[in-house]
Amino acid sequence: MNVKILNRKENELKIEIENEGHTFCNVVQKALLKDKKVDLAGYSIPHPLTANPVIYLRTKNKSKPETVLRKAVAKVQKDTKSFRAAFDNALKVYKDQATL
Amino acid sequence: MKMEILERDENSLRLRIGGTNAAFMNALRRIILSEVPSMAVDDVVIIENSSTIQDEFLAHRIGLMPLKTDLDTYNLPENCICKSEFGCNLCRASLILDVEAEDHTITVYSGEFKSENPATIPVSGKIPIVKLAPEQKVRLEAYARLGKGEDHARWQPVSMCAYKFRPIVKVDSKHCDLCGACVEICPKNVLLKAGNKVEIKNSDNCTLCQDCMDICKKTPKAVEVVWDENSFIFSLESTGALSPERILSEALNILDGKLKDFLEQFAGKENEK
Ligand SMILES: [Zn+2]
Repeated sequence: MNVKILNRKENELKIEIENEGHTFCNVVQKALLKDKKVDLAGYSIPHPLTANPVIYLRTKNKSKPETVLRKAVAKVQKDTKSFRAAFDNALKVYKDQATL
Repeated sequence: MKMEILERDENSLRLRIGGTNAAFMNALRRIILSEVPSMAVDDVVIIENSSTIQDEFLAHRIGLMPLKTDLDTYNLPENCICKSEFGCNLCRASLILDVEAEDHTITVYSGEFKSENPATIPVSGKIPIVKLAPEQKVRLEAYARLGKGEDHARWQPVSMCAYKFRPIVKVDSKHCDLCGACVEICPKNVLLKAGNKVEIKNSDNCTLCQDCMDICKKTPKAVEVVWDENSFIFSLESTGALSPERILSEALNILDGKLKDFLEQFAGKENEK
């Protein structure tokens, strides 16, 4: 993964991520769209043979787009953490039931 | 996030997950299919092959044989300290096949492979590789390496990995005239006619085909199929290379790694400005 900033304005941000795809971009886009400060968030893969998607983000009320993006990624990190915790717990419950 | 294990055995896992979203489930599914590494043969040196099958065909069959994977011992060739094209003990395992049909026709199975590492063996010894007529011979050395499904399907650790929205099936017994058509048409036998009532047996098996709704003549429909967009039934079936729990936890590690990597890179680029 290699991140390049293509365009940066007061409330706009356009970045390119080398060697990534839908896997990463889609979760981040959906997390961005849940934020009320986001006006528009999307990504595109300009060419299917080069895995370099471009994420575009526009924020409302002069919120800093960098902060909003960082918050969205942190939100997904929280999701993986709670998924892991829920999975460990479910395994424990399942094993307890099996031994009964 | 809420989770419950619906089914689990040596090679498969079915989960009911609540309080998440489709994007997150899809990221996990995509990582499991294309980025969780597993072991597979990707180089075959054929010393002798007098069977009726060509060398490349034989090599292809061997490549598609799932191998038990020890992720803690082996490195991905591109990350290995040896930096060699041929590989070392930490990124390559060699398997030897040396068989000869003496006086009658035999089928050679995956169990005939002798591995230098007893932990890296085919998941099943009963995979047919080649048939040999009397006096035919196969001698070869196969090199297994870790790889990812995005490079070739032989490195996919799963034979299936999918999710669906959690189905919610409702029967309005006040409207239902007990015609039984919905019970008949359901391909997954989710509905059951019991006495003077249509009951729901196991709504998690519903495929959301809505055939029951289409066939119901009542207005409004007496049976309704909807889904919860924040709950999922996630199932995965391992080839046997890794345990299903390990596959899922590796996928979470990979997603975590991507997010961490992004934040670090992004912070670096921001400071450059
Ligand atoms: Zn090596």
